[in-house]
Amino acid sequence: MPFCAHRCGYCDFTVVAGKDHQAGDFLLALEIELASLGQPREVQTLFIGGGTPTHLPVSHLDRLLTLATSWFPCATEHEFSVEANPAGLDAEKIDVLAAHGVNRVSLGVQSFDPAVLKTLERDHDAQQVEAAAALLSQRIPNFSLDLIFGVPGQSLALWRETLARAVALGPMHISTYGLTFEKGTAFWNRRAKGLLNQAPDDLERDMYAAAMDELPQYRFEQYELSNFAKTGFHCRHNETYWAALPYYGFGPGAARYLNGRRETNHRSFSTWLTRVLSGKSPVADVDELSPADRARETLIVGLRRTAGVDCAEFRATSGFDLDEVAGAAIARHCTSGLLERTATGIRLTREGRFLADSVIVDCL
Amino acid sequence: MDPKFIRNFSIVAHIDHGKSTLADQLLLKTGTITQREFREQILDDLDVERERGITVKARAVAIHHTYQGHDYELNLVDTPGHVDFHYEVSRSLAACEGALLLVDAFQGVQAQTVANAYAAIDANLVIIPCINKIDLPLVRTEEVLEEMHTVLGIQRKDVLMVSGKSGIGIDDVFEALIERIPPPAGDAAAPLKALIFDSKYDNYRGVVTYIRVRDGRLAAGMKILFMSGRSTHEVLEVGQFRPDMKKCDELGPGQVGYIVAGIKDLGSVRVGDTVTLASRPADSPLPGYKAPQQMVFCGMYPIEATDFEKLREELQKMSLNDASFSFVPETSDALGFGFRCGFLGMLHMEIIQQRLEKEAEIDLIQTAPNVTYELLMNDDATVRVDNPQEVPTTGGIKEFREPIVRVNFIVPAESIGTVMQLCEDRRGTYKTTEYLGMKRAQLAYELPLAEVIYDMHDRLKSITRGYGTMDYEVIGFRGADLVKVDILVKGERVDALATIMHRDQAERRGRGLCKRLKEEISKHQFEIPIQAAIGSRIIARETISALRKNVTAKCYGGDITRKRKLWAKQREGKKRLKQFGQVEIPQKAFLSVLEVGDD
Repeated sequence: MPFCAHRCGYCDFTVVAGKDHQAGDFLLALEIELASLGQPREVQTLFIGGGTPTHLPVSHLDRLLTLATSWFPCATEHEFSVEANPAGLDAEKIDVLAAHGVNRVSLGVQSFDPAVLKTLERDHDAQQVEAAAALLSQRIPNFSLDLIFGVPGQSLALWRETLARAVALGPMHISTYGLTFEKGTAFWNRRAKGLLNQAPDDLERDMYAAAMDELPQYRFEQYELSNFAKTGFHCRHNETYWAALPYYGFGPGAARYLNGRRETNHRSFSTWLTRVLSGKSPVADVDELSPADRARETLIVGLRRTAGVDCAEFRATSGFDLDEVAGAAIARHCTSGLLERTATGIRLTREGRFLADSVIVDCL
Repeated sequence: MDPKFIRNFSIVAHIDHGKSTLADQLLLKTGTITQREFREQILDDLDVERERGITVKARAVAIHHTYQGHDYELNLVDTPGHVDFHYEVSRSLAACEGALLLVDAFQGVQAQTVANAYAAIDANLVIIPCINKIDLPLVRTEEVLEEMHTVLGIQRKDVLMVSGKSGIGIDDVFEALIERIPPPAGDAAAPLKALIFDSKYDNYRGVVTYIRVRDGRLAAGMKILFMSGRSTHEVLEVGQFRPDMKKCDELGPGQVGYIVAGIKDLGSVRVGDTVTLASRPADSPLPGYKAPQQMVFCGMYPIEATDFEKLREELQKMSLNDASFSFVPETSDALGFGFRCGFLGMLHMEIIQQRLEKEAEIDLIQTAPNVTYELLMNDDATVRVDNPQEVPTTGGIKEFREPIVRVNFIVPAESIGTVMQLCEDRRGTYKTTEYLGMKRAQLAYELPLAEVIYDMHDRLKSITRGYGTMDYEVIGFRGADLVKVDILVKGERVDALATIMHRDQAERRGRGLCKRLKEEISKHQFEIPIQAAIGSRIIARETISALRKNVTAKCYGGDITRKRKLWAKQREGKKRLKQFGQVEIPQKAFLSVLEVGDD
């Protein structure tokens, strides 16, 4: 769902702002793309993200959710997540979500501090976050808050306060993301011109460490590099990705992993729309790896989980033994102190979480 | 062929003054090649030559031309056009009686014009001066004539006006070749004496030896002797280049052609050697033979130790085609097993490297090139050192000598000051200045080769806005206050980063080197001190701080492919790193020595 009220300077997702009048076309094309399934498929988890799904007016939101659940009827014990922004998330919309069986909401909070929110070009304030969280607590209490650290001008103290305020809102799940300068974004260009200073990596490390140290004190356990949750409230949908299990994907920029093949739709909304409406495939990129490369990919996404990679599970998913695909790198990083062996597999150490990419690169 | 109707000549010029185009035009005009076969610079058939527009290997081609009713055989012996190949040039010229000296109608006399003209004069050749590219819109013919007179003593009445590109004046060139160049002297009845001026390796025939016959006759079936190489061979075929190899019955006095004698090893065919008959050898060889002298050396190491043998095979293949390239196995604590390779000069080195990269699929670490040094030890023994690591740290050296070159610059008059400053900064000794008219001057300096080879040419070009040219020749070794500067990475000496420099420059360059290495080596999990040292004395230090955070924030369904490709790319980059202790050093770091110049 690509529509947003506006595009924030750091965002590199498939997002369109100021094109709300095309929402009808979007739903029409999505319906066509979904029809390629032939028949409804039962799924364990469903995730609608974007963009800002809740930016759609109620009638369109209702149609979107109807579409999704008619093609993907949920199994019992399912997880159905929708992303939302604090601005504009009112009781009426939450009612629509709940009515369609949405049982998890991921709220794009990022910060409570006016200066940080301004730098990030967010269109909400702390009061709106608190109001949205209060509404969710009543109707969909399994909600998650996204937070960003390493924002230019953000101090460690401010970040600690952000964590504390987030916890106080009573979410079941918190994601903390180090600000990333993605190529092609306004932030990337401003950094290149020296108009925006990236936080020093020492500070970023301290901020990340603060999340790792403080959230568990409130019973949010870190279960992935950027994700913390209360017991039983991991995002099951996202865990599918890190376990390298198959998933569908629909909409502009959507990705799917089916039969060992990764496909990504055109990231441009208008290209996706034109292609789908004219009966062409919206797929832009197909990535089919050799079994060994696929196994390595399975390993590197798996390492993002705090639990790490289980030998037996890895063999079952990939058909390889861990040491067969990355024995040398594993041995090296067990020595360097970034990896450790557990009773049944391997995982990043605490230090390894700060330098995960160094390990991942060596495992490829 | 009666020598009366033979003329042997060469074309000499500064780079880009149109030598190859004129050669092509001569071939085209005489029907040696057809318009259909005509391609730009047919004589340069190495890729590297085409890419860089310069001739590296000598070539020969026999042209037939009818003049005043007689058929003349004109042998064009093309010469290498770069300072690295002075000796090869001198041997090619020794195969001729005359030379066309080309000067660009706009650029005028340049450093290599002078160097090549003197080489031709030294070889007692008749010089036919030509101003080329006279059809260019912008020419300064009058001034160029003046320069030729001032610098080379050339009379303006002797100068031909030509254009290799459009063919203007080509008939005058043929006439001058025949009328001005004397026919070769030689005695067909005397014992065979033929000069080897080049060779190449052919996969089917083995070594093809390029020769110029002085005395005697040469034909298939004869048993020949290489007088310096002391090897004998049976001639399987003789022939001429027209321009492809064409068999003939025999080669007599004055003629230029090739021998195929089933020789497998290019090393046994030495440029400058004399071919004679085993059964009836000449009394003495032709004068001027010298063994190839490698002046520039660098280490080449496979990144994967298992590629060592493969690298040896590839180097062997290279030396099969180029006898002036040498390699011997060496070991480095930092880089493992590899080879020390010797080259005539930097261009020669680049050519070999490019070919290795193109033809061999081996990831290589190459160390910074260094010149060869001569050590006079306390016991008066002289030792050649091709690798900074071989310099003893414990002393015992009476004199540390480095190769010295005489450099001739031709520069715009207003740049004289800056060029002199450049030479002073590089430990040059001023020799002479000579004005070529009002606007340009010729400067001569003696400089250490080490100060010249890396970037002198680039610096000259930049301070003269492209107008300065230079040429140099090794004149010998000279003692200097040289020291070996070691580099320590995380407390350990990295032998492959050791360099030799003058003591006065050591601190400044040591500091620069540490800085460069700090930029080249990426952050690790730990702090990495980088130090420069003379013996045990540390002269500079930098520290690479530890990597504190390196983690991708988001890796969800839509990110996986993109992120994996990004990581895979980083992984690919890491393959060109050499693990040294706990530190990974990139290939580029080993070359950073070169980039620490005058700043």
